Amino acid sequence: MKRHFIFLFFPALVGLALSAGAASHQKPASKATPAASARQQAAAKTKTAPRVKSKTAAKAQPVRSLKQPPSANGDLAEARLLTIYQLMATAQSSEALTQAEQLVKDHPHFQLAQLVYGDLLAARTRAVRVVGDVPEPLRTAAAPVLSELRDESQLRLKALRERPPAGALPSQFLALSARNKHAIAIDASRSRLYLLENRPTGLTLIADYYVSIGKSGLSKNAEGDLRTPLGVYFITSNLDPKSLKDFYGSGALPINYPNVLDSARGKTGGGIWLHGTPPSQFSRAPLATDGCVVLANPDLMALIRTVEVRTTPVVISQSLKWVTPNTARSESKPFEAALSAWQKAKSSGNMNQVLSFYSPNFNSNGKTLTQWTPSLRSELNLVQGRAIQLKDLSMLRWTDTADTMVVTFGEVTDGARTGPTKRQYWVRQGANWKIFYEGVIG
Amino acid sequence: MKLARTPFFTTLRLMAVALACTTSIAYADDYGDVNQLLHAGKLGEAMVKAESYLATKPADPQMRFLKGVIQRNLGKQAEAIATFTKLTEDYPELPEPYNNLAVLYAGQNQFDKARAALEMAIRTNPSYATAHENLGDVYARLASQAYNKALQLDGANPAVPPKLALIRELFGPNNKGQHPTTAAAVAKPATPAPTAPAAVVSATPLATPAPVATAKPAASDSSAKEAKEVEDAVQAWARAWAAKDMTAYLGAYGREFDPAGKQSRNAWEAERRNRIVGKNTISVKLDNVSVTVNDSQAVAKFRQDYRSGTLAVSSRKTLDLVKTGNRWLIVKESTGN
Repeated sequence: MKRHFIFLFFPALVGLALSAGAASHQKPASKATPAASARQQAAAKTKTAPRVKSKTAAKAQPVRSLKQPPSANGDLAEARLLTIYQLMATAQSSEALTQAEQLVKDHPHFQLAQLVYGDLLAARTRAVRVVGDVPEPLRTAAAPVLSELRDESQLRLKALRERPPAGALPSQFLALSARNKHAIAIDASRSRLYLLENRPTGLTLIADYYVSIGKSGLSKNAEGDLRTPLGVYFITSNLDPKSLKDFYGSGALPINYPNVLDSARGKTGGGIWLHGTPPSQFSRAPLATDGCVVLANPDLMALIRTVEVRTTPVVISQSLKWVTPNTARSESKPFEAALSAWQKAKSSGNMNQVLSFYSPNFNSNGKTLTQWTPSLRSELNLVQGRAIQLKDLSMLRWTDTADTMVVTFGEVTDGARTGPTKRQYWVRQGANWKIFYEGVIG
Repeated sequence: MKLARTPFFTTLRLMAVALACTTSIAYADDYGDVNQLLHAGKLGEAMVKAESYLATKPADPQMRFLKGVIQRNLGKQAEAIATFTKLTEDYPELPEPYNNLAVLYAGQNQFDKARAALEMAIRTNPSYATAHENLGDVYARLASQAYNKALQLDGANPAVPPKLALIRELFGPNNKGQHPTTAAAVAKPATPAPTAPAAVVSATPLATPAPVATAKPAASDSSAKEAKEVEDAVQAWARAWAAKDMTAYLGAYGREFDPAGKQSRNAWEAERRNRIVGKNTISVKLDNVSVTVNDSQAVAKFRQDYRSGTLAVSSRKTLDLVKTGNRWLIVKESTGN
């Protein structure tokens, strides 16, 4: 009896249990995920990026709900950050804090994670109203950095909420060959790099990563303009990180800016790489580089492990348009007719007919059409009327102020086992397609 | 819920026996019965029993508390809130009613009220209040460190260590005021861990810090020892004042403290806060402290030298103190003889 007497309060108190979700320290609802509150659009920071009037300007179709990123995504840090956001949104602030603590332990230089961790700690003592609710005077002193971190936060969340439609591919990839095992498409407005695998079933998205681009935005024109180029490129090499400064992180994949189209337009500059980050930074602000495309080191390493040099196309667009494979095929039909006609003409050995496909502005590594014609003639002579086949054909379309096509194939004469790998750049003039570059690349 | 035979419970049991010499065993049966019914889910019966008990002893805090629990389990939230609220008004030194109010408020998504209630729960024990405030300071510091790393501004924040409040003396685990008119053997329930407001106020008892608090019926101790305790309490009060430690200072005043001039307790506390916290430095020195003890009441007279900035006031002060639990708390403060 006396035992009951003493423990009277205990059972009564046990009877009153708080459900885990209902009671939290502060008001999680007001904290909300960064995406839920109104914030500036990151894309607005792209100051003078040209608004290209083309099919490539359309956006990815948004998907209904917040999903986890594809499992092949190498950026576990980002996935963990997203999980923390979701925990915060469902008022599980203790668990969010625990996970944030672990995330910054694993990635101490992941500044956005530190900011979120700081917010979760601060939320234990006061209401936190915005992402990075930093007290003065730090808030004023660090206003630009804070703004960039919020942009990064919003872009990462948006990229994970708005997924490309399943089975769709960027409109630039009209056809890829078996030699193009992977393809990369960069959507600058989303600060996102999409890695696609060329499977027998078609081009499939296997991973996507947050990227930083040029401080001055897009459409590189000249040396030193701090812009990232727009266009269709290829990875030209894979630089050994040991040969690089710390600044570039885990490695670098240079791309062939300026490409033929860029050169024809008189664009200058170079040294545009996909590279990593310095040791003191896990990821950089959305607009931060001198024109290169920068990824967090784990992401870059995943990329380097996966893609092949020289056969991996890299499309950099202001805003990717994702289309179904059927659409891509039907888009390519008019051009394919022109390509087929050129192939027939060459197979027939009719010099004039072949020449009709070449633009007067033709330039192949400095040679004008007139200068280049003799080598074309000797090619036809060699072929001697045998048909040529176009093996491992890939067709990449780039449309801005001009409608162009980058075509790569192995030109194999009937009876021969192999042939040279050629690349052609075509431009559409009215209803007709013309070649303005042709060269052997392998 | 552990009903283990730890030394703590043994002591409590002994204490209860010692203090409850005159208490009818029937009281124990009543609480136990209601509890059993509550446990068995027989809420209607439990309520009947509780209310019939309260008909004869309407002020009894324990049964009122049980009634509140029954009301809440019956889904009668408004009534439960009223019951616990009244308990907090009558027994502001008990944390449990505050906690349960917080539970009810949180269940209604009234998180501001829940938070306020939990803050009150913590403040019923000054040691926990201090630890809780210190914890807040530490969290703020951790946040600051994380923010600095996020924003990567070197040397943006000077590394001034936080001034956490020191607790100057050990309080026993059972320092809540016993309401003198209740069944004296009100057991001291375990205080909840203040940093986990989401948790049920659990039944696991507070680990007692040494020394184990045993009841000291005042009569059995030498009056010299009591007088020393009173003087220690008065000195602690003066130190808290000088240190601007509002938690310890206000905590030195008992529930029955009557502020002069018909001020409400809240208004008086706010006024003291205003007058103390804003000062740069305060010095409070006591001289010629003389203490007289009579059972659980004491009077302390002394000369108080107060300095702050350019203000220096010396006055004779009288404090009336009452022993509640094992603490001496101020119930009256006057200047002059």
